Amino acid sequence: MTRKQKRLSVIAAGLAFLGVATGLTFYALGQKASYFYMPADLATASLQPGQRIRLGGLVEKGTVERSQGATVAFSVTDNQKDVKVTYTGILPDLFREGQGVITEGSFGPDGIFVADSVLAKHDETYMPKEVADGLKAKGVWQESKSD
Amino acid sequence: MLFWVIAAILTLGASLAVLLPLAGETKNTSAAGDHDLEVYRDQLAELDRDVARGLIRPMEAEEARAEIARRILRLSNAGPAGTTATQRSTRLVATAAVLVVPLVSWGLYGQLGSPDLPSQPLSERLAKNPADSSVDELVARAEAHLAANPSDGRGWDVLAPVYLRMQRYADAVTAYRNAIRLDGDSAARQAGLGEAIANAAGGIVSADAQAAFEAALKLDPANPKASFYLAMGLAQEGRTAEATAAWQKMLAALPQGSPWRGAVEQALAESAARNVASEAPAKGPSADDIDAASSMSPQDRQAMISTMVAGLDEKLRQNPRDEEGWMQLVRSYAVLGKTDQARDALNRGIAVFGADSDQARKFTAFAASLGVTATE
Amino acid sequence: MVETGHFALVLAFALALVQTVVPLFGARTGNHKMMAVGAPAALTGFALTALSFVALATAYAGSDFSVESVWENSHSLQPLIYKITGTWGNHEGSMLLWVLILTFFGALVAVFGGNLPATLRANVLAVQGAIGATFLLFILTTSNPFVRLNPAPIEGRDLNPILQDLGLAIHPPLLYLGYVGFSICFSFSVAALIEGRIDASWARWVRPWTLVAWMFLTGGIAMGSYWAYYELGWGGFWFWDPVENASFMPWLAGTALLHSAIVMEKRSALKIWTLLLAILTFSLSLLGTFLVRSGVLTSVHAFATDPTRGVFILCILTLFIGGSLALFALRASRLTAGGLFHPISREGALVLNNLFLTTATATVLVGTLYPLVVEALSADKISVGAPFFNLTFGPLMVPLLVVVPFGPLLAWKRGDIFAVAQRLMAAFAAALLAVLVTALFIDGASVLAALGVGLAFWLICGAFTDLAVKSGFGTVAPATVLRRFAGLPRSVFGTALAHLGLGLTTLGIVGTLCFGTEKILSMHAGDTVELSGHTLRFEGLYPAQGPNYSEDRGRFALLGADGSIAGEITSAKRSYPVRQMTTTESGISTIGFSQLYLSLGDEASDGSVVVRLWWKPLVTLIWGGGLVMMAGAAMSLLDRRLRVGAPSSRKPAGAVPSASPP
Repeated sequence: MTRKQKRLSVIAAGLAFLGVATGLTFYALGQKASYFYMPADLATASLQPGQRIRLGGLVEKGTVERSQGATVAFSVTDNQKDVKVTYTGILPDLFREGQGVITEGSFGPDGIFVADSVLAKHDETYMPKEVADGLKAKGVWQESKSD
Repeated sequence: MLFWVIAAILTLGASLAVLLPLAGETKNTSAAGDHDLEVYRDQLAELDRDVARGLIRPMEAEEARAEIARRILRLSNAGPAGTTATQRSTRLVATAAVLVVPLVSWGLYGQLGSPDLPSQPLSERLAKNPADSSVDELVARAEAHLAANPSDGRGWDVLAPVYLRMQRYADAVTAYRNAIRLDGDSAARQAGLGEAIANAAGGIVSADAQAAFEAALKLDPANPKASFYLAMGLAQEGRTAEATAAWQKMLAALPQGSPWRGAVEQALAESAARNVASEAPAKGPSADDIDAASSMSPQDRQAMISTMVAGLDEKLRQNPRDEEGWMQLVRSYAVLGKTDQARDALNRGIAVFGADSDQARKFTAFAASLGVTATE
Repeated sequence: MVETGHFALVLAFALALVQTVVPLFGARTGNHKMMAVGAPAALTGFALTALSFVALATAYAGSDFSVESVWENSHSLQPLIYKITGTWGNHEGSMLLWVLILTFFGALVAVFGGNLPATLRANVLAVQGAIGATFLLFILTTSNPFVRLNPAPIEGRDLNPILQDLGLAIHPPLLYLGYVGFSICFSFSVAALIEGRIDASWARWVRPWTLVAWMFLTGGIAMGSYWAYYELGWGGFWFWDPVENASFMPWLAGTALLHSAIVMEKRSALKIWTLLLAILTFSLSLLGTFLVRSGVLTSVHAFATDPTRGVFILCILTLFIGGSLALFALRASRLTAGGLFHPISREGALVLNNLFLTTATATVLVGTLYPLVVEALSADKISVGAPFFNLTFGPLMVPLLVVVPFGPLLAWKRGDIFAVAQRLMAAFAAALLAVLVTALFIDGASVLAALGVGLAFWLICGAFTDLAVKSGFGTVAPATVLRRFAGLPRSVFGTALAHLGLGLTTLGIVGTLCFGTEKILSMHAGDTVELSGHTLRFEGLYPAQGPNYSEDRGRFALLGADGSIAGEITSAKRSYPVRQMTTTESGISTIGFSQLYLSLGDEASDGSVVVRLWWKPLVTLIWGGGLVMMAGAAMSLLDRRLRVGAPSSRKPAGAVPSASPP
């Protein structure tokens, strides 16, 4: 092989490698990215059974039930629709009734959302960004002055 | 003044850092090629060392040496970069540079800074003459003192009424309890504790508060605050006649010019009005805002009470195993005349503890005394 | 004192402007006086920024609530240590720390750069000054930590409780030393582009700086991961959170840079690529700052949610990334390409390393930015989490790790892959043994888990093989082996240590992910629970009072085989009244390299408590491996071959005074 051919073959191998990596990335984005929904969005969303999604909204007041053991049930609401969620584990420190929350998991056959993670990573005056945006879009959210 | 001196010195220093190299001698620096040559020579020496250590075989070393030699040969092509500028443009840039430092810094600082505002570390603020301090500062000072000496009963005793006045009721409760624990009982402290507890609960005289007032009366039967609030508790339970009697007895015993006269008369008037219109009771005027309470319109007062009751209801939803709370809620709704809600609260309370628990029986009996029955 | 600090900061900005323009002009026109302005300006600028930082830290330590940022992020009852670390526990202070480190590195170039060609030094300092001036302007106009309040409040609003931790004291400074350390590589690259030539001393400077930055970044990421592990109470060590990715991308690119700089230093090859990589690495550091600081991503780190700041940082990004890449496009063709090499060679292996690492960086970048792009283009919100990264990043990393042991054993220019494979037979046998032992003797080990353990042992044994082969083990007499071993260049030890650390981290990750167990249950006082052979008894909840919080401590006794108490684990729910926040303090007991980890949930009405308990085998190796990698970088730094000799007619070549640069 001449020097030029050698260089070309190296470049071709590199490009093939990048091509494979790019393909893998897009495949993964199609399969593994989970979409974010508010309860009212679910009516129009076409979800496969068992598909992982993120469900966000407010923890509806008075719906948190701690059963025996470590399973907790509560409703997530956007003040239009609400969805019943169960979660087994320790709720984050910032989990409170009436506060924003993001749960991740999938719907069970009984229509109850089974979450395997619950995020409430925000401070007192501050909503998870997705939830705040979603509530604003629905006209539920009022900008409150954080003091 | 000191600040401006420091600022001037800093500016001078920074300007000199720019000025001195510009005014100094031109150092004779070597061309870039010399540096490269030095690096290559270093690499050759390193190569020899590696060969000596046996890390590289002589064959490989020979090849590497040849390559470095080729690079050294290539060096001669590299020429110095850039062209020489005219003397004039150089001087212009230099002058501008020296001027930029003071002009930009003083100009920008003038926009952003607060040169007249001294530093105010907390320890210094607390150490200055108390007469110049605000109430907040005095409280902070006392808190700092009590954080260091938590067993200073007198300190708690002084701070507690201040908290009450600042409407920091929860802190007031703690302070009164500490004062009683450390310096012993007194009528004033017990009455204050009761007032703090009642205010913390939104003006409702709970069993805790009642106990404190009763303790105060035991120590000093003539304590007006305790008598007043106990009567208020009666009124809140719907025992209006007893409350009115208690207030009237109080009014007779109070000396002329006592600040409590106004409060009692006000309470009597409202109680009478309620008897006529079967309206909700007023929030008992707390001792320190007697004036404010009397200037409040009935509508406002009503709204305020509703908010407080709603708050209590909410608290119980989150934290339902609160026996005292349920009784308070039932009583509040009953007093407000919202019988349905009172019944609902009673049923919810019973549901929490179970229908045949002691609590449930207690609730039922208590509700019956208010004229509320569990089921329709 | 506060205003002095404020003034010093403004003055530092003015000086940074001069440091940008004058040396650059001097280098273009060949005026040595102007070029000489760079060094004293950089030194004075550092002194002024340091003064400013000390003033701010003093205000924090003394609870000076007349300073707005102190009032917002401090409380008089906080312990002194957290008052001081609170200085950089907020947006304003952390940006000041960023600039302080930037000027510190600039000052190091000024002090140790005496033996650099004058124009290169002037250009480097000018670029460094430009970065400094931009960030100082950013601080002064949008995030000024010296904004005052008059009258001053009497009490502050407390530092975010989850930041009141020693991990926070160490994590950001380390991370920033890493991020900002790459600014030197960036400045050298841009300076080379401005000059249109790459000096031989260029590579010798860029490599140690890459090592320094990489070492600190490794430490910062490891520290941040450990902090999240014990402080957030979820038991995870890596969440693929955008903020973590923001620090991971410069690390991946920096690792690539570290390796390509070796080729450049030793073989004068890959010059242009290295230069581009240096620009990209610092660009990713800036992007990390942007992602974290602009509030685009929601996280504990997003102190700033002010859009003007975001726009400003976006301008900075465009200026530096766009500007340097445009300069690269214009000038790269003027740079001479380096030597040639055979694909199977040390150079070839390092190119392969670069190919994998940059592709991995790209996948992380895509995964991090994709949700932002989707949200901007459509209204859909998506989140890209661990499953995505496991599917893309994993397949890229595994082959890279497989080839790691080959790299250091291949010869420069032309290598013999079969000879190297032969030398690695012992390591391969050890890895195979590890796979078999894991698969046969450990219950519930999947094939993947066994292979993962094998991969880790392959890396670890490969690192030792490297040292053994280079000291001639098995081919020469034992005495000679010892002598040669002692005489090995420190960079060889550095490489071996870094690769060993990588193996340890891999082992820790595989151990934790594949063999970890967990239980969630509700416990009453007196209950016992058993997990992976460890028995814990819940002793009950005890209230306790801290300086600025109260807590319920759950005590757990670790029982020995005979039922006696062998140790105690305490986990707590802390409540901070000022911010009305609750935090979970996890309880951790380290047993060998493994840990028992538990966190408390809420107390139920019947007095029972939800407890989540993990057994994390070999988990400490994840961060221990990071420390070993740092040690490797430090070892490499100590190697004298990286020092640049100053031209001198008096001394023989190589006899360099020890005060020359690191």
